[in-house]
Amino acid sequence: MTLSIVRALGLVTVQDLGRPGRMHEAVPPGGALVVDRLIAANRAARNPDGAPALEVLGQLAIRAERALQVATDTAPLRELPAGGELAIASEPRRVAYLAVRGGLDAPLVLGGRGALLCAGLGGLVRAGQRFATAGLAETAPPAAPAPDAPDAPIRLIAGPDPASFAPGALDVLLASEYRVLPTSNRVGTRLDGPALPRSDAPEVSRPMVLGAIEVPRDGVPIVLGPEHPTTGGYPIIAVVARADLGRLFSIRLGGTVRFTR
Amino acid sequence: MADWIALGDRAIRFARPPRSARTLTRAVRAWPGVIDVVVARTEVAAYFAAEPRVDPAWLAALATAPDDPDPGRDIAIPARYDGPDLAEVAAALGRHADDVRALHAGATYTVETMGFSPGFGYLAGLPAELELPRRTTPRTRVPAGSIAIAGLHTAVYPFDSPGGWHLIGTAGIRMFGPEGAVLELGDRVRFVP
Repeated sequence: MTLSIVRALGLVTVQDLGRPGRMHEAVPPGGALVVDRLIAANRAARNPDGAPALEVLGQLAIRAERALQVATDTAPLRELPAGGELAIASEPRRVAYLAVRGGLDAPLVLGGRGALLCAGLGGLVRAGQRFATAGLAETAPPAAPAPDAPDAPIRLIAGPDPASFAPGALDVLLASEYRVLPTSNRVGTRLDGPALPRSDAPEVSRPMVLGAIEVPRDGVPIVLGPEHPTTGGYPIIAVVARADLGRLFSIRLGGTVRFTR
Repeated sequence: MADWIALGDRAIRFARPPRSARTLTRAVRAWPGVIDVVVARTEVAAYFAAEPRVDPAWLAALATAPDDPDPGRDIAIPARYDGPDLAEVAAALGRHADDVRALHAGATYTVETMGFSPGFGYLAGLPAELELPRRTTPRTRVPAGSIAIAGLHTAVYPFDSPGGWHLIGTAGIRMFGPEGAVLELGDRVRFVP
């Protein structure tokens, strides 16, 4: 074993690029909440983009059982001597990634090595747990890291269910500021702000998609995350542009978001 | 009529052609760029690796897509009729609990669609004598393995989850595991007491 978990607070899991291709079995794609940040950590660690790494929504401390090299999505590769400890926290963002040179050794199950909690695959990382590295070959040194995305509004695509909303509901979403609720998880990101009024159209179970903004009867929107149900009865008012999804899921709990077309 | 609507910038949704979910899934997965398919009761979604590029002819062809030659499998699910709603269901239907068990176990079901949670199959073919609307108040937690009925469907909950169906029994097998889902679209299912 190479490293042990000293402390894991919040939602800490092993993640990679998920298990696409199984939605017809009602298995959502899963994978890193913020794919770009997983890739940034892996590139800093000279790993392949999809190498398994630790996703931290909260806090994590590890101890090296023997000398190893680690990187995060915001810190370059560094040496951790045997017995050395490293603590990281997702603040001021919602999520952080810790990659170990060579990748974490996690079993391949149904095409992925990450946790998919809704399917009972993998689980939460806990204090005392130990990991080995996978020994993946070193990739080329990363290009200069991409600059932090600007604090611009999150782009939306109008949803497929306009008849399920009262007139003007989408305008409310576009004109208002929403707060990311602490009840958010990998299934959905819950937003607090002006309610989006529904029409009295009946609820029909329909296919869902990552980034869909679904609206329950109480009008409080939920942005579907990587562990979303593949079908659902709440109508979709809009879908987050895929290019902006990582920026939305990076906003810390309690942080605010604005949307644009 | 080939018509679809954007489901964001990586997927499209369209009205379900009158074909089996298994046939539709197979046909849509063959479209260039498609990585995933979900067939629901009245709609289908196709998920793409990049911005969807859709040829209207693909959608038009679904109405006459050849049936999947694989006929689906026969699955037997060991069942104990010990659900917490069994007595209530029997009373609502004006029957004895033994009748409910005999009717439910006497039918052969087909996996019509999959959704809600990993491995959850909507099984069509519930005898009309057992048709009931969903519970007025959903449970916040239905235990994994619960055999449930609602409307003209039955299902087994693969995981602990919220749920509004009537719980009439317990399945003797795990419906989802490291090998994937026990049920596939088009499978024929019997419950064996």
